[in-house]
Amino acid sequence: MEASTETAVRREIAIAARPETVWEFLVQPEKATRWMGQAAALDPRPGGEYRVEVLSGNVALGEFVEVDPPHRLVWTWGWTDESQSPVPPGSTRIEVELEPDGDGTLLRFMHSGLPDAEATAKHAHGWDHYLERLEIVARGEDPGRDTWLDGNM
Amino acid sequence: MEAALKAIAAPHRRQILSLVRDEELSAGEIAAHFDVTRPAVSQHLGVLKEAGLVDERRNGTRRLYRVRPEGLQPVREFLEQFWDERLDALKREAEIEERKKRDGSEH
Repeated sequence: MEASTETAVRREIAIAARPETVWEFLVQPEKATRWMGQAAALDPRPGGEYRVEVLSGNVALGEFVEVDPPHRLVWTWGWTDESQSPVPPGSTRIEVELEPDGDGTLLRFMHSGLPDAEATAKHAHGWDHYLERLEIVARGEDPGRDTWLDGNM
Repeated sequence: MEAALKAIAAPHRRQILSLVRDEELSAGEIAAHFDVTRPAVSQHLGVLKEAGLVDERRNGTRRLYRVRPEGLQPVREFLEQFWDERLDALKREAEIEERKKRDGSEH
């Protein structure tokens, strides 16, 4: 696939904390909400629920797929909205790998399954689905309540 | 980017995008699919065009519309920004926690 049509979001960051510590922030609700969301219900085992309320009524919902502490975590990800027609959750996939790096951790992040622009134009369901999801993202963009972007939960 | 998100936030505009996904249609043909007035459809098309989500092409006296796939590129950039902010916060919080643990173990 050409880079221009690649829609996965990939990131690599170095964290001055051991993988065991970083792992806690991925799977423990009280720690997970320190970096994302207002509330979280996490059941970190294959098939277990992943549910993070990013804003009131704006919930990221999915299922854990691979749980290999403290090395690798894979879960599905989608949006649901309690006041609007629900969007099927679990439509995209997030993979996090933690590699020891001296005293710290190298974290590799990938959010894949986001429809690329060309495929979106070709496939009806992909297009409808993407737009519905984006509508919810758009509501998160509402200037009146975008505290999720300031990193100060 | 914000224009694209606002453009797709309206159900009618999402329906229009679905209609012109696979084929070029005129405003009249689009209006035939809805219980909305032709001027309303034209207004929606204007918003979609402004947001870069549809292309307009003249064919004789007709104006035809179809989806412009690359219009969604800014949305991807939004997601990248979202994750950059979140991962920065994760790094910050995990490092604070790690310092707490290390200070704790020294005593």
